[in-house]
Amino acid sequence: MPASSPELENDLQALIVKSCNIEFDLPDDLTHDEPLIGPESPYGLDSLDAVEIIVAVQRRYKVRIGADENNREALRSVKALAAYVRQLQAAQA
Amino acid sequence: MGEQILSGDAGPVLEFRHRQSAHCESGVTSNLLRDAGRDVSEAMVFGVGSGLFFAYLPFLRIGSLPLTTYRTFPGAVFRKAALRLGAQIERRKFGTAAAAMDGLDAMLDQGQCVGCQTGVYWLPYFPSSMRFHFNAHHIVIYGRQGDEYLVSDPTLEHPVTISRRNLAKARFARGPLAPHGKMFWVSQTTATVDWRQAIMAGLRETCGAMRLPVPLVGWRGIRFLASRMAKWPQRLGAERASLCLGSVIRMQEEIGTGGGGFRFIFAAFLQEAADRLQEPRLAAMSERLTAVGDRWRDFALEASRFCKGRDDAVESTTELAAIIADCGERERGIFTELAAITRSLKVGQ
Repeated sequence: MPASSPELENDLQALIVKSCNIEFDLPDDLTHDEPLIGPESPYGLDSLDAVEIIVAVQRRYKVRIGADENNREALRSVKALAAYVRQLQAAQA
Repeated sequence: MGEQILSGDAGPVLEFRHRQSAHCESGVTSNLLRDAGRDVSEAMVFGVGSGLFFAYLPFLRIGSLPLTTYRTFPGAVFRKAALRLGAQIERRKFGTAAAAMDGLDAMLDQGQCVGCQTGVYWLPYFPSSMRFHFNAHHIVIYGRQGDEYLVSDPTLEHPVTISRRNLAKARFARGPLAPHGKMFWVSQTTATVDWRQAIMAGLRETCGAMRLPVPLVGWRGIRFLASRMAKWPQRLGAERASLCLGSVIRMQEEIGTGGGGFRFIFAAFLQEAADRLQEPRLAAMSERLTAVGDRWRDFALEASRFCKGRDDAVESTTELAAIIADCGERERGIFTELAAITRSLKVGQ
């Protein structure tokens, strides 16, 4: 999966919906800046879902999101996660 | 010591290079040591500072749930790594928030960048959903502009600012691991460092801690956790078992870096040590520990799916406990072999 693809954010969003079993319809006006985790999240995800997101991203994009405190920043939003994936892929290249 | 690049009524702004890291304390230590002239990576700090550990302490509770820790006590990595890498350090605690802030101001006025222990919950630059009551988050303060302090938080990509009021709250957060305004800095470094000796000291202590003949710590602690976890539903009921499981996952994946994450950092240290000491056996250990980190993460994934009641989740905590037991067994093998390798390394080569 090319990380520089402009569709990366959309792909990540689809991956999150699938891996976290989000079965309700997301708002039509959802942007990639919305919080991913927590009570303000339109995805309705909590910190346990974060583990599923991290592993799903790791497997799909072959990047190691290092179980570290950067997760807090990377999981701020789909946009932040995409930026983090791009950064890791660039570092691996 | 940071060079003062701005001063005046606005307050001092010191030159300090912010670097993002995986773990706050080892990142802060690495950044402070580099600021003092000792070029050392985060992974090397974590390894030389013997940061890796495991303990399952059911008699100690956080939020009424048993404590699981994957690292040594906060502050230990800074102290051990700095001393083993030839740095002299200073640390201070305070009785009141006002005294702590005055103490910080005095150090900044002297041109000294300072590490601070803080409570994550009171750091407003984190999104509210990501804040939780963990009082051993480490940051560096490298300047002040009026009422705003310049923060190098190594978990962030860029430096941020925080108001005096919020910083005082974070430095005097209450609860477990309360920081009591603790601040620390590197006052001096030696001209050279004996890397071999520093690496060996870190390896020896970590291997010793992970192989302690005590059922609650090291690889035996991992095995003990596995045995308890398998029985949680029968002993505690389904609801509380799920809470305990969630706590283990959160401690692993969130609080002060995760267990899996610490395995990855220590593995990076082993790789760096292998290169520095020309010792390929350490590189092989690095690969094995990385694989264990992945196994810990497998557990976190399966456990979170179990807690969430996913359709394709494992059916019982027995299966989850088997993954944990596997991690423990693998770590037993790794640290036994690593101890033998460390014994065979010669000092002063």
